[in-house]
Amino acid sequence: MDRVLILDVRDVTFRYPGVLRDTLRNVSLGVSSGELVALLGPNGSGKTTLVRVALGLQRPLTGSALVQGRTAAEWPRRELARVVGVVPQREDNLFPQQVRETVRLGRYPRLGAFGREREEDRVAVDRALERSDVAGLADRWLWTLSGGEYQRVRIARALAQEPQLLVLDEPTASLDVRHEMELFELVRRLVDQQGLAALLVTHDVNLASRFADRLLLLSDGNCVATGSPAEVLRREQAESVFGWPLAVSSFDNRPQITPLRRPT
Amino acid sequence: MGRWAHRTHVAGRLAALLGVACHGAARQQAAGPLALSDDAGRQVRLAGPARRVVSLAPSITELLFAIGAGGQVVGRTVYDQYPPAALQVPAVGDGLNPSVEAIVARHPDLVLLYRSAHTDAAAQQLERLGVPTLVVRHDGLADIARTARLLGRATGQDSGGETVGRSIDSLLAQPLPPVRTRLAYVVWDSPPIVIGAGSFLDELARRAGAANVFHDITTPSATVSLETIVARDPDWIAVVRDSAGDTPPAWSRRPEWRAVRAVRDGRFLLLPADLFGQPSARASAAIATFLELLSHRPLTTGHQPP
Amino acid sequence: MKWLWLCTALLAALAAAIVLGPASVPLSDLVHSPIVRELRVPRALLGLLVGGSLGLAGASLQSLVRNPLADPFLLGLSGGAGLGAVLAIALHLGGPWAIPLAAFAGALIALGLVFRLGLVGGAELDPRILLLGGVAVGAFCGAVMTAIVSLAEASELRNAYLWLWGGLSGASWDTLRVIALCLPIPVLVLLAAARPLDLLALGEEPARHLGADVRAVKRRVYLAASFLTAVSVAVAGVIGFVGLIVPHLGRALVGGRHLRLLPASFLAGGTLLVLADTLARTVVAPRELPVGIVTALVGVPLFAVLLRRWTAY
Repeated sequence: MDRVLILDVRDVTFRYPGVLRDTLRNVSLGVSSGELVALLGPNGSGKTTLVRVALGLQRPLTGSALVQGRTAAEWPRRELARVVGVVPQREDNLFPQQVRETVRLGRYPRLGAFGREREEDRVAVDRALERSDVAGLADRWLWTLSGGEYQRVRIARALAQEPQLLVLDEPTASLDVRHEMELFELVRRLVDQQGLAALLVTHDVNLASRFADRLLLLSDGNCVATGSPAEVLRREQAESVFGWPLAVSSFDNRPQITPLRRPT
Repeated sequence: MGRWAHRTHVAGRLAALLGVACHGAARQQAAGPLALSDDAGRQVRLAGPARRVVSLAPSITELLFAIGAGGQVVGRTVYDQYPPAALQVPAVGDGLNPSVEAIVARHPDLVLLYRSAHTDAAAQQLERLGVPTLVVRHDGLADIARTARLLGRATGQDSGGETVGRSIDSLLAQPLPPVRTRLAYVVWDSPPIVIGAGSFLDELARRAGAANVFHDITTPSATVSLETIVARDPDWIAVVRDSAGDTPPAWSRRPEWRAVRAVRDGRFLLLPADLFGQPSARASAAIATFLELLSHRPLTTGHQPP
Repeated sequence: MKWLWLCTALLAALAAAIVLGPASVPLSDLVHSPIVRELRVPRALLGLLVGGSLGLAGASLQSLVRNPLADPFLLGLSGGAGLGAVLAIALHLGGPWAIPLAAFAGALIALGLVFRLGLVGGAELDPRILLLGGVAVGAFCGAVMTAIVSLAEASELRNAYLWLWGGLSGASWDTLRVIALCLPIPVLVLLAAARPLDLLALGEEPARHLGADVRAVKRRVYLAASFLTAVSVAVAGVIGFVGLIVPHLGRALVGGRHLRLLPASFLAGGTLLVLADTLARTVVAPRELPVGIVTALVGVPLFAVLLRRWTAY
């Protein structure tokens, strides 16, 4: 498959104003079409900041962050929304809404302020609903959905943007086993069948290891390792990053970490 | 022993008779507790006629001076400006929201309040501090006569009170003159507030031969729609104002008020506040002023008639 | 279909406002009657514009501050307007338009103050700061106003509060012309913000990712909605409840999409106010009730019905 580099972050250093230490130090990240990259690291390692810099919401102090060859921070937000579909960690819908309504919001980057909705918009919404496996829920009210269903609806909205890159920030944080697996399988399917690029920030190291093509392990703002799961999830490396004794085993040909109990 | 007691007894009664005889003069009566009932239905006992009176309404202050008790007034509100002699009396604040401290600082032996929701609370506070209060209310002319008599008894100026009372009674006893013209009192423009039958202004106008087109409203004042004023088409618009001058009120230039014929034609009656601002003992003077104004030319409103 | 209902209701309310009133005008005289031509028609149209403005501003602001209980007057505008009016009376500013102009100026100053507060420390119009700032500015103005009224001696000041109660009694063709000039731009700005407001309802971060220029949208919506409110207050005083409840009526009627909700709020607000004003003028004729009381009396049962719908979710 012809891989197109969509997200190209090189050697960025970034510090929030008023903070003493760098939040990111010389970090590089690349995501191409047809590949799923997972961003791992303990709390406070800089994962969310890296995503914000990559998408141009913050300008790095050094280094560059490009989206499709253009500086991320200089993209007009509406144009960027036609290329990158983001499913943020939190969303707070104030008023009751139906599934189709909320997915339709994903078409807004392609509509003007007063532009009429066209046939292609309706088709795109339907397609997004199908791909996310929520077509049957189209007329349901959001507050009646389970956590897993709601997450898939949010992915459908991002898909309705017809993006080239999907960014998901801790999408399985509060999901049970079944819904978590469904979500990872969905993203994998989208990457494989639609050729999307996907960047997934997650705490679930093991599922990331099984589903992602590449991992990036952050610790304290530094990129400790990047590459295939086998290259990144080495025992000593992982133990020092996560600060806990681990055993590394293999499942599905992918490394899996198991945290050990501390000797009493 | 018996004859001595008898003589003292007779002497005492003679002295009392002398005292009663002196009552005819316009001097304060000596001693004697008073039992009065006021307009709030309260029974008030005074040890004697009040010598230090605080008045909390312009109409009450004016009445006190009118019945000859002006020298006994030791406190008034800032709004009490008539008669001119009243200005010499120290002010104790705003009568609508009385400051009990300022009142008590004048060491009154009687406080007179105009009945309203605010003053009921103040009256209670003063009672608790041991200061007797009388609450009066006079909306119409007959009420003024009654209040004058009550104030006369309370201050020992019984004859003064009686005189004022009788002058108003005789005014009221006169037959009503025929209605020669129709008017509306406009107190405020936005929203339009007019005077109704419950107010002395309505009575004064009627006694000057002018019928209030809003006589059907029973309260002293009420908000009405502008179109009602237009529909009832008064010949005159009466306005009570503090300042002198013969310019019509500013709101008369507003386009929506031009729909009222009297405004268009500049037929304004500008009533001086000292005579018309509150119910007063000088009702006959007020009526005379009214009659004079009614015979004047209409005022220009500064606008070209449409 | 629903739009038909809404427009019919509006037309019916306008017709009632023109035909009914404390002064009885027979139908045959309607066209020629000066009462109808000079008073009722401008008053009905003013009710439409003011009610519509309040409904539209309310819907926009509720989405902006992400609070379904927000009312246009929460942002301190009524305090500023009242203070302006009282100052105009206390300083004996002449002219028949002195009070509305002073009220408008006062409202704009309050608007600016709250806006500035909302930007302090890079807060970027944080909804909580806007609401708190609005309450603070409103309370401050109210306190100054009360102080002036209680200290001054002019008896007219005691009536200043009546002006604040709100009412369409100042309606005339001249007033209408001025209002009609002031409204189009803010209304258009708000309609153009309809789609971004849909996105903003998800939260600022998701809205940004979906392509909204959140900073610019918030500023424009705040300024346009507040301007509409300031114009309404200057002309008609503080008419409560319309801005609070009409957006919910609109939502119940046409749903949450702002391209529908905003126009529906305008129409519903206009209808509600015109209806309330007609009731205010006729129910206790020849007397007139303050229209703010009628909007509350009519609005509260409606609101209660809506609340049941909400909790049924």
